[in-house]
Amino acid sequence: MIKKLLGKRVSRRDFLKAAAATGGGVALSAMGIGNTAFAQDSKEVTMALTWGAEFRPTQDEFDANFMDRHPDIVIDKQYSTWPDHQTVIPTWAAAGILPDIVYTHGTRAAPWAAEEINKNIDDLATGDVEFNVDDIWDEALNLYKPQGEITAIPYDHGPIILGYNKDIFDAAGYAYPDETWTMDDLRTAAVALTDPDNNVWGWAGISNNAVRQGGHFTPWGGQGWSEDETQLSYDTPEMNEAFSFWIGMIEEGVAPNASQSEAFPTGPWQGGVVAMSPIASWDTPALAQFASFAWDVAPWPTGPVQKGTGSFGSGFGITNVENRDAAWTYMREYLSEEGMTFMWGASGRGSPARQSAYPSWIAAPIAPAGASYFLDALENYAQTDRPHKSLKGPEVEDVLISELELMRSGDKSVADALRSMQDLGQAILDG
Amino acid sequence: MIKSTRLKPKLSKRELQEERWFYGFISLWLVGFIVFNAGPLIASFFISLTNWTGVKTIEWIGFKNYVDIFNDRLFWISLRNTFYFGTGSVIGGTAVALVIASILNQKIPGRNVLRTIFFMPWVTTGVAVAIMWLWILNPQVGLLNYGLSLVDIQGPGWLTSQTWAMPAMIIMAIWQNGQTMIILLAALSGVPKMFYEAASLDGAGPWARFRHVTLPMISPAMFFVVITGVVGAFQAFVTFQVMTGGGPGNATKVYLLYLVDNAFSFFKMGYGSALAWMLLIIVALITWLQFAIGRRWVHYE
Repeated sequence: MIKKLLGKRVSRRDFLKAAAATGGGVALSAMGIGNTAFAQDSKEVTMALTWGAEFRPTQDEFDANFMDRHPDIVIDKQYSTWPDHQTVIPTWAAAGILPDIVYTHGTRAAPWAAEEINKNIDDLATGDVEFNVDDIWDEALNLYKPQGEITAIPYDHGPIILGYNKDIFDAAGYAYPDETWTMDDLRTAAVALTDPDNNVWGWAGISNNAVRQGGHFTPWGGQGWSEDETQLSYDTPEMNEAFSFWIGMIEEGVAPNASQSEAFPTGPWQGGVVAMSPIASWDTPALAQFASFAWDVAPWPTGPVQKGTGSFGSGFGITNVENRDAAWTYMREYLSEEGMTFMWGASGRGSPARQSAYPSWIAAPIAPAGASYFLDALENYAQTDRPHKSLKGPEVEDVLISELELMRSGDKSVADALRSMQDLGQAILDG
Repeated sequence: MIKSTRLKPKLSKRELQEERWFYGFISLWLVGFIVFNAGPLIASFFISLTNWTGVKTIEWIGFKNYVDIFNDRLFWISLRNTFYFGTGSVIGGTAVALVIASILNQKIPGRNVLRTIFFMPWVTTGVAVAIMWLWILNPQVGLLNYGLSLVDIQGPGWLTSQTWAMPAMIIMAIWQNGQTMIILLAALSGVPKMFYEAASLDGAGPWARFRHVTLPMISPAMFFVVITGVVGAFQAFVTFQVMTGGGPGNATKVYLLYLVDNAFSFFKMGYGSALAWMLLIIVALITWLQFAIGRRWVHYE
């Protein structure tokens, strides 16, 4: 054919033949290249991660060091954005092409375990004495034991405490929050620090997460979900009192409403126009990088009934039974005290799920001065937010959030919205 | 036994060779169509008869998902919202597109540049459009409320208000409707001038010429844009996902948002598949209805 092409005027038919032959050749070559790569001796451990570009060099450095220690294992990483990851992993699972190790947010722990995306690794974690699984916070590990056995290992677990804008406090000559603060003190301060003329609010408002973050209702004695996550308790006097407290601050103009908040792409708190906000340990790197104001953290204020807040985190699971030994070889180092210290502690990226690694995060250059208050909350009054066991959790939360939106916009009273949360949410759980 | 007398025409060697090449080339597309279109389509019907979570759990439950749909509060809410969006965006979009097309059909300076400008939103990525409109609709610093403030109107919190969120999405959809404008413009430019001249001789004014000449002549094109507009409205997803997520309080939860939530967030792939097939039935019914009504107002030459 080549002779024909070279020797004669090229017809359309000849051209198409040549194109097809070339395309086929390229395809075959590509297959050949792939086979060569897979034919190597070392074991490959694949990972699905969600880190942004700024954190990937830390991951690469850890992996390079790991591969130096284990020349027989090659680490291959695939990155997705955080929201994409939540749909990509089940899709890969359905297609049977899951990576060996997958990032697993706490809300996905139970469903991904139930669907056997993450395999039971209880024997590996508890049988490896050197790994010392007891060093991991119980609240963090419980997230990954939906049926009592370990299905993933947490790397980060943080409580929600009180963040405050020091510049606004200083400008008003108001004393910073401290360990003695109650919810009444928070409200009094929010009123005092609100300055409508300068577009400054005392409190950040109420986000959709408030339906699950215990800090918004446990201080009043409220509990949204039962322990086994089969019963809701949103329509109670305690919940009514709690949500009236937060919504009341919006109604009084002490906190921005949804419409006012829209003016700030990263939210009014990070925009520097509110004096106080709930803050999680995983929020601190972004604040350290982008906040144009001085800020710090304080304990979550005590409520009329008790001191209490929520906590949550993320971890990693192993998906591939056939490659679980190689995957565990990586995981046991990645999530060891040294691994957590290197990856999340010293880098300031997030509060490690290991008690022994926590001090490294508190001492990180980008951690706030009051970072030890996160540790205090974990040790003394934080509980893991619910739901994290029920497979119907996401569907119920969809209902809870839509009712919270109506409550926040003033389209529904707190009592009516809570009643709807209870009725509609419980109907889903019972269905 | 009588053999069929119908014979296949005998192909020459060259024709046979060409036929082989034809199938060879089309096979790539055919495999793609079967794997990526027809296969999932058929599979989704069987999935809709199960309680498949999307990964592992799967049981055959017959038509239970379809029965459940009728008792599903959010199905009806999302359907109502989609009708609201479809009605507003199709009627509003067609009317605005017709006005713009009529203007651009005149011999005005910069006509081609204006055509390009009006068409551009349609070829712009949905996410980019959504982000731009998030800023335009921003109640504090947005262009729309700023414009309203110039005439002493305090604009609402468009996307945070139950009342105004859907009208805001409709306004955006109308703005994005460049394709309709181009189709109607092509139809308008195809109306023979002699019809207008004849109507003028009969004493028809501008409105009468529009009503009795223009509209009947472009009615097939209008019918086409209405049909595709309604189908498009039922497929609305990206801008809603980016701009409102279905809120506030389900005010903009359109059908596809609810379908995707079920399939990918609620671990109800079976139910999501049933919703997809229900969508097909609904769109088919509406299209049939439009064809039935269309016979009364669409005039083919």
